[in-house]
Amino acid sequence: MDTTVSDTKSSIDRRALAAVFVRLGAFAALGIILLYFAIYARGFTSSFNLQNVVEQSVILTILAYGMTVVFIGTGTDVQKGGIDLAVAANAGLSGAVFVTLLNLGWPEPLAVLAAIFTGMAMGFLNGLAVVVFRMIPLLATLAVMNIASGLELTITENNVIGVSSEFLSTLQFGRFLGISALAWVLIVFTIFVAFLMHYSPFGVRLYAVGGFPEAARAAGLNVGRNIYFSYIFSGFCAGFTSILIVSRLSASTLGTGLLLLPVLAAALLGTVFSRRFVPTIGGTLIASLFVGFLANGFQLLGVSSYWVSGVQGALILLVVALTSFAKKSEGA
Amino acid sequence: MSDIAIDMRGISKQFGPVKALENVDLQVRKGSVHGIVGANGAGKSTIIKILAGIYRLSDGEVEIDGKPIDTITPASIEKEGVHFIHQDRLLVPTATASEAVFLNNEPRVGPFLNARRMKREAVELIKKHFQVEIDPDTLVRDLSAAQQKIVQISRALANKAKVLVLDEPTAALVAAEVTSLFGVLRALRDDNIAIVFISHYMQEIMDICDDVTILRNGENAGNVVPAESSIEEIVALMVNRDTSEMYPRRTAEIGEPVLQLENGTRVGHFENVDVEVHKGEVLGLTGLLGSGDKQLLKCMFGLDQFDAGTFTLNGNRRQFGSPAEAVKAGLAMIPEDRRAHGVAVDLSVSDNISIASINSHSNNGYVDTKSEANMVNGLIAELGVKTPDRFLPVRNLSGGNQQKVVVAKWLSCESSVYLLDDPTVAVDVGAKVEIYNLINRLAGEGKGIIFVSSDLEETVEMCDRILVMYRGRIVGKYQRGEIDSDQLLAVASGASTDIREVP
Amino acid sequence: MMEDVRHSIFSLDALSNYIVLFAFAAVMIIFSVTTANFLSLENIYNVIANKVVLLAIVSLGMTIVIAAGGIDLSVGVSVDMSALVFFSLLAAGFSAPLGVFAGLFAAFTVGAFNAFLINKLRIDAFLATLGVLFIGSSVQRLATNGGTPITLTTQEYAPVFQVISDSQLLGLPTPVWILALCSIAVFLLLHKMVFGRYVAALGAKPGVALYSGVRVPRELSKVFIYCAVLCGIAGILLSSQVKSYIPLSGDAFLLDAIGATFIGTAMTSDRRPTVVGTLMGVCLLAFMRNGLLLVGWNFFWQQVGIGVLIFVVLAFSFGLRKREE
Repeated sequence: MDTTVSDTKSSIDRRALAAVFVRLGAFAALGIILLYFAIYARGFTSSFNLQNVVEQSVILTILAYGMTVVFIGTGTDVQKGGIDLAVAANAGLSGAVFVTLLNLGWPEPLAVLAAIFTGMAMGFLNGLAVVVFRMIPLLATLAVMNIASGLELTITENNVIGVSSEFLSTLQFGRFLGISALAWVLIVFTIFVAFLMHYSPFGVRLYAVGGFPEAARAAGLNVGRNIYFSYIFSGFCAGFTSILIVSRLSASTLGTGLLLLPVLAAALLGTVFSRRFVPTIGGTLIASLFVGFLANGFQLLGVSSYWVSGVQGALILLVVALTSFAKKSEGA
Repeated sequence: MSDIAIDMRGISKQFGPVKALENVDLQVRKGSVHGIVGANGAGKSTIIKILAGIYRLSDGEVEIDGKPIDTITPASIEKEGVHFIHQDRLLVPTATASEAVFLNNEPRVGPFLNARRMKREAVELIKKHFQVEIDPDTLVRDLSAAQQKIVQISRALANKAKVLVLDEPTAALVAAEVTSLFGVLRALRDDNIAIVFISHYMQEIMDICDDVTILRNGENAGNVVPAESSIEEIVALMVNRDTSEMYPRRTAEIGEPVLQLENGTRVGHFENVDVEVHKGEVLGLTGLLGSGDKQLLKCMFGLDQFDAGTFTLNGNRRQFGSPAEAVKAGLAMIPEDRRAHGVAVDLSVSDNISIASINSHSNNGYVDTKSEANMVNGLIAELGVKTPDRFLPVRNLSGGNQQKVVVAKWLSCESSVYLLDDPTVAVDVGAKVEIYNLINRLAGEGKGIIFVSSDLEETVEMCDRILVMYRGRIVGKYQRGEIDSDQLLAVASGASTDIREVP
Repeated sequence: MMEDVRHSIFSLDALSNYIVLFAFAAVMIIFSVTTANFLSLENIYNVIANKVVLLAIVSLGMTIVIAAGGIDLSVGVSVDMSALVFFSLLAAGFSAPLGVFAGLFAAFTVGAFNAFLINKLRIDAFLATLGVLFIGSSVQRLATNGGTPITLTTQEYAPVFQVISDSQLLGLPTPVWILALCSIAVFLLLHKMVFGRYVAALGAKPGVALYSGVRVPRELSKVFIYCAVLCGIAGILLSSQVKSYIPLSGDAFLLDAIGATFIGTAMTSDRRPTVVGTLMGVCLLAFMRNGLLLVGWNFFWQQVGIGVLIFVVLAFSFGLRKREE
């Protein structure tokens, strides 16, 4: 009996060790890469550059929050669990709606609401397909992504539609306490989502629903409603981001849908920065800033930007292989 | 206010043609521990799942605390104060201990989670009832089985449970943990909480229960008060003493050894295990949950690896790296979880039967459909699989017929040794008899059979020899007729004194 | 119990098996009424030769993978890598057969790499092929200096492309014959050969396949390699048709191939991918797009239309399916 006990104990130790190793490894890799950039990439550490990277990452980060919330509420088994492939296309559509309404002379607050509403409506469509029609999330969100990007193209007729307003230029150029408006948006939004996910009863329940739906159901939680929420919230993030995109470019442009892959990469990479290897807001923030710094560092070093997506892909594979290794070492 | 916490009357439940429960009554008094016992398939878990709102009842009435309940859902039953400690620990693996205790009942400050209070109260609650400390930040998946049980019960207590239903709560616990669990249950009972306690272990039922309801084949077989009764009386009510029909006789000749294992060891699961099976022999292997019997089968079948030992099959020393190698060498496995490993329910009877041997019914990679059809139809007829044709998806067959499909799969590749892992779990009595007939038939054809079963009665009745495992070691070897099921239970559960000293 | 099995054709469950045929019939009827040319032989020939073939070949590959319970997000990479290697070798003066062979080998490598990630590193198919998708786009950008197409329009190469894509055989364009061959090959693989049984078992219940002695890693490797090689064939056809290798152009197939395969699954009562179903799905998408074009919808509205079509068909297919306990 003693042997059994000590064996389970040592296997837990080994597993905890492996987990710590992976997580520390992730932080160490992050640190080493940043340090390398700081030493070799001229201007990397200048406050101008740092702020620039943060601003560039705002859009990616908030979209990745949407994806993260979907992962939290529906589990990280992307094949059978949940995923929101529509989030980026959705942002593109919301942006097109926003710009078009502004140009039609709608008052700004109404146009903002309409953009966010558009995002949430597409999110609702995702939820409907997954919860009511029981479509595989991968497929459901794929179809919605097609619809969203098609609608975006239709509204914009494949053109860049310019727009300018005081509100948008404040968002673009405004500063407060030496920090740009976009950075403030990121800070406030992060605090908001982090509270919702990590410091509210709601978040605990959403994690439970995503972590083990049967257990959540047995605890009396409404699983379907939580899944709806995940997708609608992801749509909200998309709508919200679309306003930032428009303000940054003073226009609605095509190609927002291309953000999907970096968004996925950030949300998946983020899991490695959490103690439980689950999606977290903090992890996603670190991961998407990391993705941003990586691109920036390469640029400053004069490395071709063509490397960026390959490095992201390799990182995803590395992270997933390592986490599955860390989980597997729990020893049969 | 009623004195009865749970009153279930005339409960019936049907699954397709199978009657799982018929006209069962269950009354649980407040402030008592009420045991439910019965053999496998007697309907214990069905009645619990009806109470939990997982199954809809076909007929009958349920009253909780004197209040009739029409439809039960998992959410509504918790609101009535009835909490379930399911056998398969239904906990979110990535939640922390304190989150699991307070799930759906979290302390808050305004809109925010009061994580500090949640942790403090979780620790206090657990300490108060269990006199142990659990780090509230530990993840559920890192907790031991006993700690997970504690978390589950604590969640019920945090929700002010009035009724606590425990399904096989001691299955994965060691003796000292069982003792402390019983202490907790007694204290709760004295707080006027009603406790429903389901267990296979007779001694535990005698120790803890105030009343016992006995189920047999989905019907009430009696109610007794353990203090005024005996294990023998309860067991007699539980089991069908008329076993002559149930267990068909076998006239197989036992030949030379086909499978031998010497000093088989898998660290953390079993140690120095010797097993020998002969042609035409049914070797019973039994033990309680976690005794290592199931892991032993897995290692033989290449699903896991032996750390040490000599494994011989048909005279050749083997170590299988994958089931594919084991199958090729002539091993067959009838797995416990039929729907996950035995049959693919969405595929046809034919596809399921031929999957393991399809290669020998093919030319250059092309399936010889004629030869396949002959083989499949032959086996369907031979085993009496009840299906209109071989193209019917297996999901439309009854449990017993699905199990026949699994056996047919292995007959098709002429395996020499069959590893049976609880083949009669969750099938009705009629299907059980058919499976016993299949086993006898395999033995009659000179196959070697290792029969792992948690049903002790069937082990005693069906096997030529029986090995009993306890905590990773073989603690008893018996010939047919040397031991009855009560004695077997005593040995398997470590209850007889000479066994208890085995490490 | 047997009555339950034989559903009435009018039950919702049975009805859902015909949703694809209904949709296809509706598409054909609506557009033949609303447009003059839709049903003309010329238009149908045009749709099949130009729209159906490439998507169909990629979708056949996807069908194998999805039938085995996986998914391949890197089909575009296989398409592009094959075209890239093919064109690079042609441009460097190597012979066309060698170029074709090397192109297919490049696609094979992509499939083998997927299999390595899935079997050895135990990454699930979605993430493994997602990673390969990222890496593939980097490799192509690096190889083409950021995405410059390789175009071979000179006289020297014309005969090669003539043979591969512009020639006709018995009145049908060569690519259609190639599609026919691929369809037959995949049909044999999935529906006539032992491999198909293993694929079906993997797709239905991987645990059963493992416990039945199927060599799961080996069969999975074949699945991903077959898919990649089919995509490689599509890559060579695609590049020969447009006489250039355009980086990342294969990515356009991904969504339609997944959509077509899953639409095809709606045709069988157990929702399994089949060759016929996939070809049907491809035709549905292609004719829908063509019809919308003839009605005068621009490309953007077409995309919305296709999205809605996939959504509705799949919602019916999944939503009407009989619920298990």
